Amino acid sequence: MSEVVRLQLIGLSVVGCGILILLFIRATFVRVIGFVAIVLGLFTLVALSVPQMASLPPVEEKFDMATVKTPTDMATIGQKIFFSKGQCALCHTIGPSESARCPDLKGIGAKLSREFLFESLTQPQAYIYLDYRHEGAAKEYPARMPYINKNPIGLSRNEILSVIAFLQQMSGEPISVTVAELEAPGQAPAAPVKAAQSGPVAVAEAH
Amino acid sequence: MRDQGGWIQKLLRSSSGHAGTLLGLVMAAGLLSLPALVFGADAAPAAATEYRDVPYVGSRNIVWVVAQLHLLLAGFVLGVPIFAWLCEVVAWKTGEKRYDKLAKEFTKLLTSAYATTALFGGILLFLLISFYPKLMNYLTDIFFPSFIVYCILFLVETATLYLYWYGWDAMQDGGKKTFHIFLGFMLNFFAFFIMIVPNSWATFQSSPVVLAEGSDMARAWAATWNPTWWPVNIHRLIANVVLGGYICGAYAGIRYLSAKNTEERDHYDWMGYVGNFIGVFGLLALPFAGYWLMREIYQYNQQMGITLMGGFLSWLFILQAMLIGVLFLGSNYYFWLGITYRIPGSEMKYRKPMLAMLVALLLCLGVWMTPHSLVASMEEARKMGGSHHPLLGVFGVMSAKMTVANLMILVTFMSFIMYWRAGKQETAGWAKVAKAIMGAILASAAIAVIILGVWGYFVPAIIRINYFSTSQVLVVLGVMLTITPLTALLLRSAKTTTEMVWGKMPPRAGYSLVLNAVMVVLLMTLMGYARSSSRVHWHVYGVVRDTSPYAFSPALGYAAALMALNTFFFCMLVAFIFWVATMGDKAKAPSGASKGELPHGLPAMAGASSALDEPKAGKF
Repeated sequence: MSEVVRLQLIGLSVVGCGILILLFIRATFVRVIGFVAIVLGLFTLVALSVPQMASLPPVEEKFDMATVKTPTDMATIGQKIFFSKGQCALCHTIGPSESARCPDLKGIGAKLSREFLFESLTQPQAYIYLDYRHEGAAKEYPARMPYINKNPIGLSRNEILSVIAFLQQMSGEPISVTVAELEAPGQAPAAPVKAAQSGPVAVAEAH
Repeated sequence: MRDQGGWIQKLLRSSSGHAGTLLGLVMAAGLLSLPALVFGADAAPAAATEYRDVPYVGSRNIVWVVAQLHLLLAGFVLGVPIFAWLCEVVAWKTGEKRYDKLAKEFTKLLTSAYATTALFGGILLFLLISFYPKLMNYLTDIFFPSFIVYCILFLVETATLYLYWYGWDAMQDGGKKTFHIFLGFMLNFFAFFIMIVPNSWATFQSSPVVLAEGSDMARAWAATWNPTWWPVNIHRLIANVVLGGYICGAYAGIRYLSAKNTEERDHYDWMGYVGNFIGVFGLLALPFAGYWLMREIYQYNQQMGITLMGGFLSWLFILQAMLIGVLFLGSNYYFWLGITYRIPGSEMKYRKPMLAMLVALLLCLGVWMTPHSLVASMEEARKMGGSHHPLLGVFGVMSAKMTVANLMILVTFMSFIMYWRAGKQETAGWAKVAKAIMGAILASAAIAVIILGVWGYFVPAIIRINYFSTSQVLVVLGVMLTITPLTALLLRSAKTTTEMVWGKMPPRAGYSLVLNAVMVVLLMTLMGYARSSSRVHWHVYGVVRDTSPYAFSPALGYAAALMALNTFFFCMLVAFIFWVATMGDKAKAPSGASKGELPHGLPAMAGASSALDEPKAGKF
């Protein structure tokens, strides 16, 4: 029996008890308790009827250098990061959507160079890219791109390179990121990520 | 409440023999074994311990229940003094003694409620130190100067409370009463600071800021002034007023249901009205404060805002809409019952407007409860052209939700105005013009809110958030600030055509008051879960990561079961506090207000007491 079913049974029992109290008990305070039980039981049942999503801590994508043989392997890992730890899909869509909070990333790997993508992820305020596909004034989005290499998202350099590989692959472009660029565990960064202007959270951590 | 006193006493009496001793020993043993459970869970050296757990139950569940109960009780003990003080001021200004009696009746609760709250606070502190030593060490390092401030505030608050409560009867005349009112103000003043100091600890966990090198005081001050501190302070302050009002209403509702005579029915019917009025009064302002808080969260951190509104917590806001919708419906229903039963002959006159308002509220609720993003499979999402339904998606966006929230506030305000004016005949020469102006203001405001809402679909979100939504809020506030004094002026010279009859409400009115209180408590538990879950797997967002086995937020169903449990515990605790506080009264003769004390009109707080037509006796 799953947890949801178990809780639903408890909720139904509570509502049932409440109904029985209202039907057969005359003492006012007990009747009020029965009424409250019905309300609380119904609330629980409604909450159990909506999609049940727990928020799990992000799974750390392990870079087992032995298993990453090709750029396609990197893109596969990058895709997982895009939809999980990287939280990219919270704001970005792949394909047009009027309600998207941030620019559509369809074809972004073909439109922008890998260096520009890297900079956009690690120094998002260095160059503000305006979306000119819309008629009239450039579309403004309510969201501000966070520093992906800083907390709370905090992707490693390997993870960022994998996301870029995914964006290029998803855009039908040849993947320009190579496996050789990945850092082995404990290895000093090949091309250190330039320290971006620290956000409040990042600075707070430093102290 | 009177009834349950009997069976609890019977239970206590029945367990007074050997069984009672045994029961007491078992309870004492259970309590004493709690620390052993806690410390026995992990035998590692304290310095290296980051977390401790309790088998089977789980440390997080225990902290969840205790923290929630502490917060709800704290809301209660901070809301009740505001409620009581307001009633005392009304009594002082209008000379209506029943308000003073009501204020005293609720202040009496404070001593026992205060002790219970402090008890749960102490338990929570021990649990936090035991279960989360690393986190508590980190927070103590930053906030210890404010811990000292908090202790001092407690001392002065306690002293003020003793003076306020024990000096009630001694400070009833002339200058002494003024001093007593001042004491009540100071009680609330200190209570406000008691609320905002721990708010800084909790909000820092959600929105930490740069902590520059400097003195301990400077670091604590910098951490305290984090981006969500003031929005949470204001939101909680208003929410506490709402909680205090609705709890008063629920208490009155239960006493009304179990009333033994006409005097009691009259008194508790009136008390229920006052509680509901104060609850609604705060409720109308609460969404604005909530909107400000969400705005600050978005501005602080986009991810956190999206986690709340568009991520895994998005369905929580559908539940929130349901609870707020039921609360609005319950409050309006109580007003409508009042019109129907307290003002004879009004039922037919107001039936159509009430029906129209009910339909409007239900439609608004339907829109508010429409989810923004549907949880769909890839196939379903492809067919819909995204995660947004082609038709329902139109209602699921913030522009629609802000619009209906404002419209529901307007409808509730209209309900209140309707109730206020029922049974009165305006006699002022300018009455017709004033009524036409009020009608025009209401209609224009509703149209303006809808136009801004629809327009909001066609402008960039940043413009909608910064200008359109804010304008909607200002329009609704403007309506309240113009129509309330205008109605008060209009009714000052009005004559009463139908006498208000207290004590005639049907039993369902009492249950609706209980329902409203339960909704408010559930809302508080729900939003507590939201605030905590928005930090996802961080104790302090982006700074101190949760590495415990509980570094996840449970799904809504599980969380809702705990919320329901907490709400039930809280209701029982409050019932116990009321029972203990009124135990002494039961020994005396029934002291319900005599018929003569109850003027046949609305309370002056609502501005329409027929007592206004009469000379005010005993006015200072």
